[in-house]
Amino acid sequence: MLTLAIFAPLAGAMVLFLIPERRPMLIRGVALGISLVPIVFQVATSTEFDATGGFELVESAAWIPTLGVAYIVGVDGISLPLAAMTALVFVASIAYPVDLRGRPREYYALFLFLECASLGVFLALDLFLFYVFWDVSLVGMYFLIGGWGHGDSARRAGLKFFLYTLAGSLAMLLAILGLYLSMEPNTFDMAAIIDAQPLGATGILPVLVFTGFALAFVVKAPLVPFHTWLPPAHVEAPAPASAILAGVLLKMGTYGFVRILLQMLPEAFQRFALPLAVLALVSILYGALVSLAQGHMKRRIAYTSVNHMGYTVLGVAAAAAALSGVERARALALTGAVVEMVAHGLITGALFLVSGSVWRRAETYEIEDFGGLAGRAPFLMFLTAIAAFASLGLPGLAGFVAEFQIFVGTFGVFPWIAGLGLLGILITAALFLQMLQRMFLGARPQRWDQWEPLSRTEAWALSTLLAFVVLIGVAPSWLLEVIHATSTAIVGP
Amino acid sequence: MTVLLPLLLPALAAVVALSLRGRPTAALRAATLLLGLTVLGALAAAAAGGGVSWTWGSGLELHLRAEGFARVMAVLVPLIAAPVMAYIDSGEGPADAGRTRLVVSICGFVAAMELLVLAGDLLTLLIGWELVGALSWALIGFEWREEERPRSAAIAFLTTRFGDLGLYLAAAAALAGAGSLEFEALSTLDGIYLHVVLAGILVAAAAKSAQLPFSPWLYAAMAGPTPVSALLHSATLVAAAAFLLIRLVALGADVGWFGPTVAGLGATTLVAGGLAACVQTDAKRVLAASTCSQYGLMFLAVGLGATAAAGAHLVAHAFFKSLLFLGAGVAIHAAGTRELAGMRLGAALPTTAVQFAIGALSLAAVPLTGGGVTKELIVASALETSPPLGWMILASGLVTGAYAFRLTVLAFGPGSRRDVRRPGPGELVSLGLLAFLSLAMAALQLPVAHGVRLRLLGSAPEAAAWELVVSLLVLLVAAGSIAALQRRGALVSLALPSRTQRVVGEWFGLGSLARLALVRPVLTVGRRLALIDDRVVDAGVRAAAAAGRALSKILGGFGERAADGLVAGATALTTGLAFSSKKAGDHVVDGVVEGIAETTWAGGSRSRRLQSGMTHHYYVIAGVGLLAMLGVSVLWR
Repeated sequence: MLTLAIFAPLAGAMVLFLIPERRPMLIRGVALGISLVPIVFQVATSTEFDATGGFELVESAAWIPTLGVAYIVGVDGISLPLAAMTALVFVASIAYPVDLRGRPREYYALFLFLECASLGVFLALDLFLFYVFWDVSLVGMYFLIGGWGHGDSARRAGLKFFLYTLAGSLAMLLAILGLYLSMEPNTFDMAAIIDAQPLGATGILPVLVFTGFALAFVVKAPLVPFHTWLPPAHVEAPAPASAILAGVLLKMGTYGFVRILLQMLPEAFQRFALPLAVLALVSILYGALVSLAQGHMKRRIAYTSVNHMGYTVLGVAAAAAALSGVERARALALTGAVVEMVAHGLITGALFLVSGSVWRRAETYEIEDFGGLAGRAPFLMFLTAIAAFASLGLPGLAGFVAEFQIFVGTFGVFPWIAGLGLLGILITAALFLQMLQRMFLGARPQRWDQWEPLSRTEAWALSTLLAFVVLIGVAPSWLLEVIHATSTAIVGP
Repeated sequence: MTVLLPLLLPALAAVVALSLRGRPTAALRAATLLLGLTVLGALAAAAAGGGVSWTWGSGLELHLRAEGFARVMAVLVPLIAAPVMAYIDSGEGPADAGRTRLVVSICGFVAAMELLVLAGDLLTLLIGWELVGALSWALIGFEWREEERPRSAAIAFLTTRFGDLGLYLAAAAALAGAGSLEFEALSTLDGIYLHVVLAGILVAAAAKSAQLPFSPWLYAAMAGPTPVSALLHSATLVAAAAFLLIRLVALGADVGWFGPTVAGLGATTLVAGGLAACVQTDAKRVLAASTCSQYGLMFLAVGLGATAAAGAHLVAHAFFKSLLFLGAGVAIHAAGTRELAGMRLGAALPTTAVQFAIGALSLAAVPLTGGGVTKELIVASALETSPPLGWMILASGLVTGAYAFRLTVLAFGPGSRRDVRRPGPGELVSLGLLAFLSLAMAALQLPVAHGVRLRLLGSAPEAAAWELVVSLLVLLVAAGSIAALQRRGALVSLALPSRTQRVVGEWFGLGSLARLALVRPVLTVGRRLALIDDRVVDAGVRAAAAAGRALSKILGGFGERAADGLVAGATALTTGLAFSSKKAGDHVVDGVVEGIAETTWAGGSRSRRLQSGMTHHYYVIAGVGLLAMLGVSVLWR
């Protein structure tokens, strides 16, 4: 089932090339239909999921047995919600109208290809497979930014993104090999590595391996000061690609923090938990403050990603700091971090799609150019407000469920860092209120008098993402049950 | 399950109003009716007591409990909200579709407030607390077309959210210290965690009830429509803070600093707010400053341990303050201005004038009014625990009386204006009801009500006869000085230098100070960081890329220049060693990026060919990686 979920989009991408190029709507329809397939398979899978805490529904096949490489996929309480979120954000992004530049087949094929890679990263249980999906996803995103971006600088931005994160992957490749070589017999099997914990905390090798992975993940997440590839990439990318980049691709970094650093190298992580928590705190405050100063809508949202990924890493770092007696707090922080990944994917995905709707009507992202749009676009305002309030952590919406647990959990481990990090949610509130106010409230410049209302597709895509944001916010228990089982298993009883 | 009624009925009202959005009047009336039913539902819940709980997740639970002062509060909220809603029916406020938005927001707001009131644990409390804050943003910024109002709404929300952070901290410390967020479990707290919980609660409460130094946000909140102000200031938003202190005061019983801090904060705000109210010339701002001052009085009472008296005063204040706001709304609507200088509508609006005067007398704490009775309760308790503070409260009656009388004379004193808009039936009825309740509160003093008082509020010392005499004397002095000013025709300007009047009326410059010392620096830091982010942080990356380019030149030379450049660039990026001047960095990095881009994109835009090109690079990198790894493993064995 999981295998089908991963590869159905890839197969579908090839089908697209059978459709004539002059029928873009049909191509989009087919692509949308294909993107629904992983959701169907995942819903089918999740009925068999028991939330035991460990890996379930594992599917495996021999691949290169002599090298210890195998095809293994499976889910636990962390990857299942992430994969589901991924599939959902892809459906909304594919459905979203965009300027196709006359190349609809390539555009949608790349999206489906990217979906395959993204699902693969979250579901792979073999490090080699994980690495392949990871790097392949870079390629897909690179071409989406370069080929369908806004201007001439799009290629430069795409290339910067590609090079920067590829440099991270390189470090990760070395680290993977380090882990591989330390296993006896040599294997890339993630579950086996998690069980064996081949590297302790002493010596230089664990530190090197840890650093290699950490470098890849902080670049990908990204944390300050490794984030400078993010704003230009977002500014230039077409809005649905931005939604995927922020919603899904950034999560690969934070997912790596949990799956690899926390689960495979807990002893090394313990030594680095405090510095990483400090780095996360810096990202939280720095990301929020810099975002506050941005006049460009997409840059503003992009920097809030730095801020939110800071919350996530803070939660993971708190979970990694093995202090006896605070297991509950650490599990809570970890659960919060995973919820943050899901919540941020949905919320920021929605926010970037909103930016796409704005661009389609205005061809500008400058916040100062707007004003009073609420009168012409009340529903867009309503949806944007929900996304913005969710992002600033209002209770009843998904962001709060994540951030409350992160802060409360982290407080049990690093009280000062948690206390200072709280200021982040105040600055985030300021920056989102300011954006809402400047774009949607106040007097409306005359040039927006003919603002087109949201199309049905736009409304549906945004509403679907935000419906889950509300659902998670109002009744989070179904999600938390799944995640918390695994968090507790990782942190220890 | 009855405990859910006060929560579900206003939520239902919001849904019904929303579904009737095409018919604003019907929506409004349905909502008014349902809010009236909420009063009954809350009474039922208060009588039944008990609670419910359900799983939130991650081992945390949400609890709703009708117990203690929460039972009083749960009834009070809809008891104020229903007349406020009725007031909108004929009173000031937008017509048509906008009105439904107002009605729906108010109903949602009441539901959120009930969640806050009935919360049995810190998580539920925090959820209600923040929802109330966010909905107040929507209510204050209701007339969003005017640039200034959404901005004021943001000030209000951000100030109170700063306080909310205290509740986050309190919840975190409670879980760390007591392993639970339930109110009952908090009594097991001790040590540093107890201090953090109390400090967090205090900050949250001070911000929400606009105690110093947070007071200026209440002026910003005046940007909302008058009925909204009436609701926010009486039984909801601002009242939430005093409610929370009353609900959780037992926690601080053994903590030395807590009581005195709360009392000190309250006493300071009591006086400062009173002075600001005395000199303000904007009708709504007089009432806003008065709200700060009155909650200061409640804080003071809580700090002195007079919890029951504080609770009683909260209820009395809710009645007379909502009455005063709605009355002021009628006056503002009639006069077409919020400035007191242009009102004096007593002759034109005699009924409203009488109703308003009842509220003002209660505010001034004239004996035999609701406010009078509850303030006496506070004085009596205070005189027992701390005589100096008790005397201070008695003396503060001078200020309170002065601004209450001044406001009444200026707004509804005899004047020449006749031909103004008269209040409709909705306004008359709701003002009448609130005036009745303001007076009826005085029945608490009757011997018959002793049992009720004991059950609702706990035991409280009785006021002695001489205290009443002193209160009356103080009020007479206040009335006399207002009369003297009136004769001199200086009631608006108070014969003060206009600068003094402005500074005192604007919270002694606190708002400007906050802008200058807090808001602006934060914005500046943000801008500076953004510049640094563009120029410095990224420059390191660009410099590294430049170094990579230089390296590739050395390594290159045959055919594979681009690929090598990529490898070396990527490697150099990770080391991040090199730095060069920004200008040179820019120049070089542009060169390398464009160079690579040209190579990469050469030969057309079709992805397949490019992809194979990238795969090629990818293998090169993988190869380099393998070599490096081998080197590492050889070196360290």
